[in-house]
Amino acid sequence: MRETVLSVMDKLYLACIWVAGAAIFFMSLIIPWGIFARYVLGTGSRWPEPISILLMVVFTFIGAAASYRAGAHIAVAMVTDRLPPALKKFAAILVHVVMFLLSLFMLIYGTKLCLETMGQSISDLPWMAVGISYSPVPIGGLLTLLFVIEHILYGPQNARAVVRFDHDVDHGIDATTAAN
Amino acid sequence: MDALILLGSFALLMMLGVPVAYALGASALIGAWWIDIPLDAVMIAIAGGVNKFSLLAIPFFVLAGAIMAEGGMSRRLVAFASVFVGFIRGGLSLVNILASTFFGAISGSSVADTASIGSVLIPEMEKKGYPRDFSTAVTVSGSVQAILIPPSHNAVLYSLAAGGSISISSLFIAGVMPGLLLGLSLVALCLYTAKKRNFPKGEVIPFKQAVKISIDALWGLMTMVIILGGILSGVFTATESAAIAVIWAFFVTMFIYRDYKWKDLPKLVHRTVKTVTIVMILIGFAAAFGYMLTLMQIPLKITELFSSLSDNKYVILLCMNVMMLMLGTMMDMAPLILILTPILLPVVKTLGIDPVHFGMIMMVNLSIGLLTPPVGALLFVGSAVGKVSIEALVKSLMPFFGVLLFVLAIVTYVPAVSLWLPRLLL
Repeated sequence: MRETVLSVMDKLYLACIWVAGAAIFFMSLIIPWGIFARYVLGTGSRWPEPISILLMVVFTFIGAAASYRAGAHIAVAMVTDRLPPALKKFAAILVHVVMFLLSLFMLIYGTKLCLETMGQSISDLPWMAVGISYSPVPIGGLLTLLFVIEHILYGPQNARAVVRFDHDVDHGIDATTAAN
Repeated sequence: MDALILLGSFALLMMLGVPVAYALGASALIGAWWIDIPLDAVMIAIAGGVNKFSLLAIPFFVLAGAIMAEGGMSRRLVAFASVFVGFIRGGLSLVNILASTFFGAISGSSVADTASIGSVLIPEMEKKGYPRDFSTAVTVSGSVQAILIPPSHNAVLYSLAAGGSISISSLFIAGVMPGLLLGLSLVALCLYTAKKRNFPKGEVIPFKQAVKISIDALWGLMTMVIILGGILSGVFTATESAAIAVIWAFFVTMFIYRDYKWKDLPKLVHRTVKTVTIVMILIGFAAAFGYMLTLMQIPLKITELFSSLSDNKYVILLCMNVMMLMLGTMMDMAPLILILTPILLPVVKTLGIDPVHFGMIMMVNLSIGLLTPPVGALLFVGSAVGKVSIEALVKSLMPFFGVLLFVLAIVTYVPAVSLWLPRLLL
């Protein structure tokens, strides 16, 4: 059971990474295309900007779910590291509770926001409902929720092969800090 | 009381170990519940927080820097820097700093700078007789230049946190002089140390070879020309220049330098997703937190508090610097920029300080925090790359802290260092 669940979650994790990766890939092509269209073709297109923003929302919320499983989010460990084991465990439980509730909030209120804005369309993209452009928020919330439940049931998964595969021991670069 | 609930719950959740981004989101929800704001409003603030065109510049700049750092750029920048300063006494330490200046002009990531320049130069410096801890200290403090010299994704963050009212171009141009001032101050320290400890001189590079090295490096340094040229001429926006920088970095790495293997690209994708999304989600939740701050009128109260302390802007700037230095030792740069900017900017504006100038103060100040224990990203990465203990590294960093504080004082009290260039060019 445990292995089946974990291997399904591995696939989900990889799917998140590749969806986010594809989003940033297309973002970096669409924006230059917009410039090309403006200066070379002389036809200022209106779609590159809203489409790349949409891809950025996908990238942010889907990618952040994967980052949670990878343990990449910036967290402060200096207090909990110094706590006695019993309190440390209590703190860990509270963290799970907060993460669980917040992901649930993203899922429920994100869905609500999408449904409420389904009738409006983006001004530069008349065929796209605002609600669809917000859909990565509840989807990301659901994915994070699944990873949180996995963490609660089976412990942290940031040492699994699929998660560790990009780690570069020689460089000492850790995803947690590389954005500074 | 409102402020206590919002800020207190945030501090408590963070201390418990909730990731900073999620602690911001959760405390915004607690705050909303406390003052009877519907949770839907918090959701709108989160979704709206990442729904901005200017925000796109952040993933692009980080990605362009990551491609350059992993694609053999740092080795070439080190060679290029050796042409200019390698033959001086203590040459390799100067090469280290100058290579970081160049690296900073391509990427805004000081951590990528330390990791890539450090892994090239620290072993070489040790071979030539430099102590390992000193070499690592030079590397990490030199890396701070990357945060100041444009492009800087932290400057983009500051502009966003300020509500988009401060132009990214001004912030980029404003960073040039503080960055160079830091570089020069570090060079002075290294020259002095080299003389005192009798570090070796390097060799003069023959002219023919120097030309070859320069051409090789210029491919990468073109990134800077694209970004600054594009922004200054108004041909494209900061976001657009960042996207072009990604394409250019990819082209140079894969087709000109050809150090990076195509089969390694999936690793780059994985790493980029993790590196960048943690900042992006932070921005989303920080938007909700900022929304609650405004609703509770906390910036107004902080402004009143500061004005009750003193009406002298130099005293208030000193207080703010001390506060930011203290927070910087404990927290990372990105969350601090996002949290402190909406709180402190109204105070700064009341005092008549230019927001661009304050942005530079914040950049220099918070980057010192990256080098200080207990939480310092550069300290950790430096200690891993240089294979020195944190204690040894902190000890050899002492004179470098002196230089950094000197630069902070100059940037704080001489506004022209930040503002002269943008006024001249923009």
